[in-house]
Amino acid sequence: MLPRRFLRRRSTILGLTLVLAFGLLALLAPVLAPPLNPDDPWPFMNVSQSFSRQPEPPGPGLPLGTTPQIQNMPQYGIAPGQDASFQWDVYYTLVWGARSALRFGLVVTLATAFIGIAVGIVSGYAGGLSNLLAMRVTDAFLAFPVIAGVWVIQRAFFGNIYNPFGDPLALTGWEGFLYRARIDPIMIAFILFSWMPYARLMNAQARRVKEMDYVRAAEAMGATSRRVIWRHVLPNTIAPAIVLAARDVGGMVILASAFIFIGFGGNVAWGTMLVSSREFVIGLNGNPFSYWWTFVPVSLALILFGVGWNLLGDGLNAALNPHGR
Amino acid sequence: MPPLLKQLTLRLLALPVTLLIITAALYGIIMLAPAEERAQLYIPPRTPPLTEQEFQNLMNRLIEEHGLNDPYPVQYARWLGDLLRGDWGWSPTFKGDVLPLLKRRLPVTAELTFYAIAVMVPVALVSGVLSGWRANGRFDRGYRLAAFAATSVPPFILGLFLLSIFYVGLGWFPPGRTGIYELSMTTTDFRTITGFLTFDGLLNGRLDVVGDALRRLVLPVFTLSLLYWATISRVTRVAMIEEQTKDYLLTARAKGLKERRLEWRHAFPNAAGPALTAMILSAAGLVTGVYIVESVFDFNGLSELITKGFFVAPDAPLVMGFAVFSVLLVLPIILLFDLLRAVLDPRLREDGLEL
Repeated sequence: MLPRRFLRRRSTILGLTLVLAFGLLALLAPVLAPPLNPDDPWPFMNVSQSFSRQPEPPGPGLPLGTTPQIQNMPQYGIAPGQDASFQWDVYYTLVWGARSALRFGLVVTLATAFIGIAVGIVSGYAGGLSNLLAMRVTDAFLAFPVIAGVWVIQRAFFGNIYNPFGDPLALTGWEGFLYRARIDPIMIAFILFSWMPYARLMNAQARRVKEMDYVRAAEAMGATSRRVIWRHVLPNTIAPAIVLAARDVGGMVILASAFIFIGFGGNVAWGTMLVSSREFVIGLNGNPFSYWWTFVPVSLALILFGVGWNLLGDGLNAALNPHGR
Repeated sequence: MPPLLKQLTLRLLALPVTLLIITAALYGIIMLAPAEERAQLYIPPRTPPLTEQEFQNLMNRLIEEHGLNDPYPVQYARWLGDLLRGDWGWSPTFKGDVLPLLKRRLPVTAELTFYAIAVMVPVALVSGVLSGWRANGRFDRGYRLAAFAATSVPPFILGLFLLSIFYVGLGWFPPGRTGIYELSMTTTDFRTITGFLTFDGLLNGRLDVVGDALRRLVLPVFTLSLLYWATISRVTRVAMIEEQTKDYLLTARAKGLKERRLEWRHAFPNAAGPALTAMILSAAGLVTGVYIVESVFDFNGLSELITKGFFVAPDAPLVMGFAVFSVLLVLPIILLFDLLRAVLDPRLREDGLEL
């Protein structure tokens, strides 16, 4: 049975625990960290208004202290009106960040997996010229660094949305939609430019399965291509793609945080928090950890998030693919 | 034609096709933005404040002049023609021509990429072979722990922690690419030949510059190599474990060959195939990683164009130029590993991954 084989490894249980813990954190966010405005919670909460730029250390009412001041930057998912000269509660962002991270990771992974699997399986099953063409395009996209894609999309479509002098809530049409749905350029670019591994994988799988007797038999019985793909090819080839997807969730969130960290706009709140504490990582008077609360908790959250999904992927791999690895 | 030469020409011919596919897709994305928005690029500098009517007229004139309402193939072909002629457009963000902006920063990024690959690939192959050959041995257990740790910590976070420990705490490795030598290089007759500081320093006989450049490369190269080291050595390790079950090794062992010769001369070339494929697949990711690490360690490479630009009007020439340069960085890496693979494995000379 799959569940027993899956749960036999200790590392898998650790991974599953981590993923479930982050899921719970995201689910219970309103209880663990009650928002100021229950109708429209943002992953950031103002806690103090001061003229000091120093992050406040952990203390009563502030379990993990505050970040340094953040300017009003619409590109980081900070709501307009939550103005400059505010400092954010680290604990609050940590909790609500789990929600934004899971949302980002799952949306991106499901969408890329869907595109990649569709491209790979259809071209692989059809074979011939369409296969050649699809794989040529896939290989071309594989040579494209996703960071350039993020930038192209940000510069082409998010100029008004991320305009620091504008009010994003006043936008209408598709720009207003993108802002309110919290769709960021990183999400779009990841979906457009990271489906290739799935396509390659599923293409190879589909070409292998296509020659199998059960597919031949279904074809001989007059099943349509659509039916053969849904009933026979897909169920027999999907396993490695599931493994890849599980590992991708963590990886995508981490890469998105890295992009936010170097200055792209995005809605993964952990990444935003790291940008804000960028200057404070170097610490004070030669002690690098004098402002530890501004970057250590959020770094740990990101690392554990990545490790959890990675271990889950390894476990799925061991359970679904008993021969290899 | 010798097979390897034929292979080389085929691969070289495939490169422009890759570039064409990517730029066509990107240009399509850019074209989705409305023509009025794209016309803002061409508003002449120092235009006096206009009334709404005048602005509209100007927009219409610019759209007409630059053919922004032409069909997609026409505009793409025009852009491509300009690109080939060396006219990469003007960037409103940096107020300069795009090509020199990119060219000036390319050597910095290329140098970092070069050293990352030069350090990472041999170490990854050797550690993968050693741990896979004696799977579950003492070295293998240590290796697996290290590889797990390396994949767990994201490079940009690792970079931050390394900076705070080795720069702030210990003061060994400063961030930035040049530091004080920037001054001595511009004031003395330091000639820039390759753009790589380490090579130029050697060619100019300035060992102090080389030393300083290497010192500043330590942390970024380490940060960058770590993740890819883990990915690639893992693939090598698994491939080595699989090779051990093959019959040809049994034959070779029965002939009484030395264990070390079996490991490196017989099993390794076969295991290198999957490892090189993994490198090809992660080449684009490596370049993305270079940009991130550049930004963390304050290197003024190509990523500076991203991080130093502000959110102003759409800057299509710059982003397209950046995308083209990024692909131009990835393609030689892919070509290199692809050829290495063909050299190692004669079976692949006929049908390989064609990128």
